[in-house]
Amino acid sequence: MAARFYFLKLEFKRAWKRMPFVAAGAVVLMLMLGSVAQTAGTIMRGEEALGRISIGVVLPEKDPMAEIAVRMLGSLDSVDSLCDFYYMEEEEANKALEQGEILGIMWVPEGMVQGIMNGTNPPVSIYLPQKGLESVVFKELTMAGARTLSAAQAGIYAGDQLLRQTGQEEKILELESELNQIYMAYSLPRIHYFKREQVSASGEVSPFVFYGISAFVLVLLLGIIPASGYLTGESKALDQKLGILGIGPLWISFARVVSLGSLLVVLGLLFGGVFVRAGYLGASWVAFVCLVFMCLAAASMALFFFECAGTLMGGVMLLSAASMVLLFLSGGMIPLIFLPDGIRQAAPWLPVSVMLECGKMAVLGQVKWKVWLHAGLYSGVFFILAAGVRKR
Amino acid sequence: MLKVIDIYKSYRRRAILKGVCFDAEPGSCIGIVGSNGCGKTTLLSILAGAQKADKGRLEVDGIDLFSNRKQIYDRIAYVPQENPFIPELTVKDNLSLWYKGSRKRMRQDLENGPAAMLGIGPMENMIVSRLSGGMKKRLSLACALSGHAPYLIMDEPGAALDLECKEAIRQYVAGYLKEGGTVILTSHEIDELSLCSQIYVLKSGILHKASPGQTVPSLIALFRS
Repeated sequence: MAARFYFLKLEFKRAWKRMPFVAAGAVVLMLMLGSVAQTAGTIMRGEEALGRISIGVVLPEKDPMAEIAVRMLGSLDSVDSLCDFYYMEEEEANKALEQGEILGIMWVPEGMVQGIMNGTNPPVSIYLPQKGLESVVFKELTMAGARTLSAAQAGIYAGDQLLRQTGQEEKILELESELNQIYMAYSLPRIHYFKREQVSASGEVSPFVFYGISAFVLVLLLGIIPASGYLTGESKALDQKLGILGIGPLWISFARVVSLGSLLVVLGLLFGGVFVRAGYLGASWVAFVCLVFMCLAAASMALFFFECAGTLMGGVMLLSAASMVLLFLSGGMIPLIFLPDGIRQAAPWLPVSVMLECGKMAVLGQVKWKVWLHAGLYSGVFFILAAGVRKR
Repeated sequence: MLKVIDIYKSYRRRAILKGVCFDAEPGSCIGIVGSNGCGKTTLLSILAGAQKADKGRLEVDGIDLFSNRKQIYDRIAYVPQENPFIPELTVKDNLSLWYKGSRKRMRQDLENGPAAMLGIGPMENMIVSRLSGGMKKRLSLACALSGHAPYLIMDEPGAALDLECKEAIRQYVAGYLKEGGTVILTSHEIDELSLCSQIYVLKSGILHKASPGQTVPSLIALFRS
């Protein structure tokens, strides 16, 4: 037993000798990730944020109902927050488009409102010559508006038909009026919904914090690389002699996971300190426990990859590739909501996903025993697998 | 008295050792020779408890060590061909592991024990990866002898060492034998084999006893036959 504990002490010493390299590597990695994120953001969005969308609206002559309908459409929260509608003649609109004063033209057909009422639905023509972000957003807005109108229309027609079948035609006008009010009050002004609930693809945390956690998990996984020199390539003779001392693959793997984990915990505390000072993270015991679980999971996973690879270079390549792939599949690069359904369903079972959850728990200060249990389970499974590979 | 009884070992259906038997009296030196890959290292690592035999027994002073594996370390010191070190740590750290963290015993040996006789003291604070081949081999021997075992197993102790180091190790082994220790070694070096009171030739998994006074050319002829 004494030999085992002395070996554990030596493994801690080996791991801690690499602390300066690990810290330097982590700082470089953080700087690289920051640069990549900034460059990607600039490429994807350009220097400017989305501007207001100016649309020229050409209304039919002598159709006051169409004008009322379009003005109503323009006053909807989602449209009003992004678009400016300018009512003009067709020639005037073409000229404005040529001069770049407006982004597109919308032609409203004659009898649009009557068409909606009787179900013929004459199409509204929209011309958007540019292919910028504004055009894409306006197209999405139009599609969403059309879908909302379709739903309202279907509701009204269904109500009308029901009243006709039950011989209550006299109530049709009253019903349509009420349904119109309901749709206008609850369905179209979506701002009511957004006022009550914050909807974000990154879940309970803001996108900035979400990507901060994601980068931190990547730093934990890839930060092992500068310390990985001692994870592989030791002599078979040492293995054999340790076996004579009663120090088998299980104890060697345990010592490695714990020592490497401790190194990562200190690294995490250094980075965590920066986040605490910046006010993104509260210093709490929950955050510390989350950090310990994340570090143990990262250490055991890395050890497993290095044992599988068998060589230092192979281990570095396997760990790097696996970290990136697992982070992507766990929604650490692109939020899960944008990924295919199959990936979304598999993601919660991935170890990196559990690490991301731990990170969120640390930020929110929540206690979710299930997440800790999963993180502990993954650490245990990878540690046993690593010991198994080493034994083989 | 060390008795090796009917040891068998196979790797993936290939028989490496086929009923190896020999005895070693206290104070004797047994040399095992054979061509590369004939199973010498496998035999020694089995005797040292680093590997398990498929069949057979190892009796030391009447105790079956294969059934009492925990006692192997106290009775047998093993110096493998490769050096069993943690290279980025110091000599003292590495040595401490084999003394199971007991500083007192280690200090005693560094002052007046096998480690002192092997000249480990002056290099105790050096990083192992920076030691020369000869220094490493001496340290390997000192680590193996940390338990003061009466039986010493050495796998090609002089391989790739300069003449001075070989001589230093040879002298230490000679002294160990004089004090009543038993040595089992494999070697391709005539100087080292000259220490042996009995030489065996391992061929096709079977151990052949060489006749007393058998010359090296006749041993080579036995390899080839």
